[in-house]
Amino acid sequence: MAHDAPSSSFPLGRLLHVLRLTAQMPPPRRPPLPSHADSLPGCFLPLSWSACAQCCVDLKSCQTASIVTADASAQVRNHADAQVQTEALEPVSVQPPSRCDIPRLAAFLRRVEAMVIRELNKNWQSHAFDGFEVNWTEQQQMVSCLHTLGYPPAQAQGLHVTGISWNSTGSVVACAYGRVDHGDWSTLKSFVCAWNLDRRGLSPRQPSAVVEAPSAVLCLAFHPLQPSHVAGGLYSGEVLVWDLSRPEDPLLWRTGLTDDTHTDPVSQVVWLPEPGHSHRFQVLSVATDGKVLLWQGIGTGQLQLTEGFALVTQQLPRSTKLKKHPRGETEVGATAVAFSSFDPRLFILGTEGGFPLKCSLAVGEAALTRMPSSVPLRAPAQFTFSPHGGPIYSVSCSPFHRNLFLSAGTDGHVHLYSMLQAPPLTSLQLSLKYLFAVRWSPVRPLVFAAASGEGDVQLFDLQKSSQKPTVSIKQTQDESPVYCLEFNSQQTQLLAAGDAQGTVKVWQLSTEFTEQGPREAEDLDRLAAEVAT
Amino acid sequence: MNKWTNTGQEPEPLPSSVPGPTATDLGEPQAEVEETLKRIQSHKGVIGTVVVNAEGIPIRTTLDNSTTVQYAGLLHQLTMKAKSTVRDIDPQNDLTFLRIRSKKHEIMVAPDKEYLLIVIQNPCE
Repeated sequence: MAHDAPSSSFPLGRLLHVLRLTAQMPPPRRPPLPSHADSLPGCFLPLSWSACAQCCVDLKSCQTASIVTADASAQVRNHADAQVQTEALEPVSVQPPSRCDIPRLAAFLRRVEAMVIRELNKNWQSHAFDGFEVNWTEQQQMVSCLHTLGYPPAQAQGLHVTGISWNSTGSVVACAYGRVDHGDWSTLKSFVCAWNLDRRGLSPRQPSAVVEAPSAVLCLAFHPLQPSHVAGGLYSGEVLVWDLSRPEDPLLWRTGLTDDTHTDPVSQVVWLPEPGHSHRFQVLSVATDGKVLLWQGIGTGQLQLTEGFALVTQQLPRSTKLKKHPRGETEVGATAVAFSSFDPRLFILGTEGGFPLKCSLAVGEAALTRMPSSVPLRAPAQFTFSPHGGPIYSVSCSPFHRNLFLSAGTDGHVHLYSMLQAPPLTSLQLSLKYLFAVRWSPVRPLVFAAASGEGDVQLFDLQKSSQKPTVSIKQTQDESPVYCLEFNSQQTQLLAAGDAQGTVKVWQLSTEFTEQGPREAEDLDRLAAEVAT
Repeated sequence: MNKWTNTGQEPEPLPSSVPGPTATDLGEPQAEVEETLKRIQSHKGVIGTVVVNAEGIPIRTTLDNSTTVQYAGLLHQLTMKAKSTVRDIDPQNDLTFLRIRSKKHEIMVAPDKEYLLIVIQNPCE
């Protein structure tokens, strides 16, 4: 095909040929083509049309590599179709009665009422079941130590276990290593270690996850829903959130050292549900600089401050006489926090001054503080309770009664407070040294545990005795203090405690501490109702 | 002149809103139901009362919604099972009352063809 002989140059080509003929120029290369003109003798007259048509012809051939084909047959033997769709559970509610049912309902009630009243009376007066108890589970008589866990590199550095937490499934216990008795800034690296107790081949000296932290971790809290997310508060004032399921890069979010961060070591971190989104959580941190800060993790790995509160002595409610009356805008250091299980915005703060404070997230008054902050700081305190003899190290709100909470501090006493009055309901001396942690039992309304500076974990059952502990578990042999303890809310017979020697011991409690007695909730109500006049 | 045709059907029963000699009884079944339930509820130690219909749906209750639904569904199934147990052992026999004693309280179920009355009582210790 003549590519470069467009129709406009066709007459030109003819002209060229005529000129060649006359000028005796050799003809252009063209493949021979049998035609009538060639076979005529004597005269060679190329046919212009065929010449032009052939003037630029190139033969090219191309071929792909051979295609390999293969045959195979497949057959599905049997198949089934299924459609799956989840539906939001519609809450079944009480059906309002329709009109025509009422006479029949009345007739039914008339029929059964007499019998039911008779049975109710019989039951009320019956002694048939007095002292009758059925044991469905194997009874554990003694408290025993299930696991003794430790991380040798941390123990070699002389680090203490400062925080302990169970995860949301109850199978992983994590501990934070640090030191509680540092007087100055420390650049000691510390660790967060986690052991999975349900895993076979659990090695007590080798945690299933270890995370290094740039500074001593003083408190730890696992996410309430995500089994691998854990938040920790550092000696430097930072709050970090790690994901223990990613060993190569566990750090999820951090506050960094900004103007908003705490300027003092963080005493406690707590996860709070976001208002409105019950499955998203924020981290609340309290520190001895008097600030209570609420952080939200945003996508860039940064924890951003969403709300902040500051405790200033001037703004504390004067519901009780405080021993010292400092002037000016001195901050009140917060050393412990506990949220009420009944009102998600109500919380109790333990302070360095020894007095618990009842606070709320929903306050509007601004705090009189000059601390810089990107979010306006508010004053959260609503009520001040009578103080301890020294700083409070731990508070715990009862999961069974909305008004009761415990606080424990350096005076070795545990105070049981009701939120309705300032002086405590009871005050128990558990130790001659400090008390570092106190926790209510998640299953028995009248039981709580306390960690003492003498190396004991003391379990108190208010039903049995209101004066002395029911069980006193010796955790350390050399009387070094036990710094933290936590009950496992999923496997309620487990209690984990961490001490100054860097070991975490998981205790299995006897059945008397894990099964509710018949009238415990009422006994607790009665206890709470003993408001001193 | 009207021509009456026989439709071959029974006349419909009178709706209760039709005024007549039954008008004075209209409020009574309702009040009677409420009074009976109140009497049972105010008995010594009673924590809650639930009335369940034949399909297991609660129609009257003094407890909160989620607890009511749980009690209604579970006890309805248990009552049916208890009834069939009694009948299987002796076809001439039938279930009259069901009591479940637990560590914390006692649940009493009065069964019937159309309804179920569940009462939860805290016995004195």
